[in-house]
Amino acid sequence: MKTRVSTCGAAFAALLLALPAVAVAQDRITRYADVPQDFEFYPLPPGEGVDEVYYGCIACHSLRTVTNGGYSRAVWDELLDWMVENQGMMEPEPDIRAVMLDYLATYIGEDWEG
Amino acid sequence: MPKKDRGLIELYHDDPERAEYMVFGRKAGPDRRGFLKGAGLASMGAVLGTTIPFSAHMPAGLLPGALAETINEFMFDAKHADMIVHNDRPVNVEAAAHLLDDDITPFDKHFIRNNGTMPMPMSKADWRLKIDGEVNEELELSYDQLMNEFEHVTFRAQLECGGNGRAGFNPLPRGNPWMIGAIGNSEWTGVRVSDILRRAGLKPSAVYTGHYSYDEHLSGDPDRPSISRGGPIDKMMDPHTIVAIKMNGQDIPIEHGYPARIVAPGWAGSVSQKWVTRIWVRDREHDGPGMTGLSYRMPRFPVAPGTEVAHEDMMVMGAMVVKSAITNPVAGAEVRAGAPFEIRGQAWAGDNHVVRMETSIDFGATWQTAELHAPPNRYSWQRWRQTIIPPQSGYYEVWSRATDNQGNSQPMVVPGWNPRGYLNNACHRIHFTAV
Repeated sequence: MKTRVSTCGAAFAALLLALPAVAVAQDRITRYADVPQDFEFYPLPPGEGVDEVYYGCIACHSLRTVTNGGYSRAVWDELLDWMVENQGMMEPEPDIRAVMLDYLATYIGEDWEG
Repeated sequence: MPKKDRGLIELYHDDPERAEYMVFGRKAGPDRRGFLKGAGLASMGAVLGTTIPFSAHMPAGLLPGALAETINEFMFDAKHADMIVHNDRPVNVEAAAHLLDDDITPFDKHFIRNNGTMPMPMSKADWRLKIDGEVNEELELSYDQLMNEFEHVTFRAQLECGGNGRAGFNPLPRGNPWMIGAIGNSEWTGVRVSDILRRAGLKPSAVYTGHYSYDEHLSGDPDRPSISRGGPIDKMMDPHTIVAIKMNGQDIPIEHGYPARIVAPGWAGSVSQKWVTRIWVRDREHDGPGMTGLSYRMPRFPVAPGTEVAHEDMMVMGAMVVKSAITNPVAGAEVRAGAPFEIRGQAWAGDNHVVRMETSIDFGATWQTAELHAPPNRYSWQRWRQTIIPPQSGYYEVWSRATDNQGNSQPMVVPGWNPRGYLNNACHRIHFTAV
């Protein structure tokens, strides 16, 4: 089996219409395909808070669930609440939660390619 | 197949004490045994589904054996090499478009959408199906009873994930980024749910069903269903809604619901509970996990992309919508300019059927009507085919557009954005090059 290939015409059309006007130059990995497979927290991209996110999620599901799509801070925020309230996630300490949310919003934001 | 991210076992192997602190919040006592002030004991117990009587002696960094011994019967090798893996825990796998070419989808090309664990198969002898709630007589049926006491029906049925096509929405809603392959059309054999409900006797108060299964929630909490959806009684009494016991003439593979599952074709696949063990007949719309909030729900009115929609403005999805897939040529194929070749695919339409199929190879400027086969039975997808001649060498796209018997057709662009990204039925497109 293989990882995702781009065959979805609809996605292609949406991309054409909605490419961000400004490409943000940042020294970070923005595509799942570029995360080194030998990275300790693969498939998460490196960044501050990566270990908190890794260990906070791995008890229940694989990290591909996290890297499949990039979302806004608001969506990640709601998703963390949903995990705790509806999915039995152990509630992280507030400071850990803040680190997790910062990581997700920064490194797996809307420009992320899963 | 992609490298899997590290599981609990590998995590423990690297740095066991850190692993259990991060996963369970456990801090061991000064002698590296027990649980310092109980930290982590409750969460480890929750995952194990029980308490740990000798917890004071439990060495630090010891992965509980119950987790270490988890055996997974399902192997990814059971699926075709061109299947696309979105996730391995939970298992979520879809077909590349060209794998949808079979009129009857074989096991190895049928998508998998799991919400919970891939369970260890329950034996037919142990399996029971309970019918309770708004019925005159509660039933508990064995596999043998399903085999011997009810009429069996066999037909082809399209099962499609409600989120098939989600990857096309912008902004991308959370959930598996399905492209077009979270659909299958296998041949299912089983007992009509209507026959079972008639035997139990529906009370006038019966309006909806809630389905339960023996797979486990990913958190390991035994009191938490992985997912529990259902459907209105009218859909459940449809003669094509069955408790399936065979897929393509054989026992249903574990990843598709062994030994028995609901098949409610034409509706979001989650109505078709795999590993089903209970049908709870309700006097109201079911409210199990997957029925409420934003899950499997659409806004009652159109919303702008990215809108935060209040839960009370959402309603449960009904039938899936008209759609088609191009299964030949394979995306990126090279063909001869000026020579005829066949493009073909499948088309389907939820509770309806497809009456017209059109394709375009000039970006929608002109459309040609394709040959369309009648469905062999209601709820099967339908074969379409067409011979085209690319007039000169260059880059082309085939676009496909189906129209159903209610006059609904596929939009050219992505239809109404919704918070969880359901019901994207935009025209499918495949590119090819003529040389």
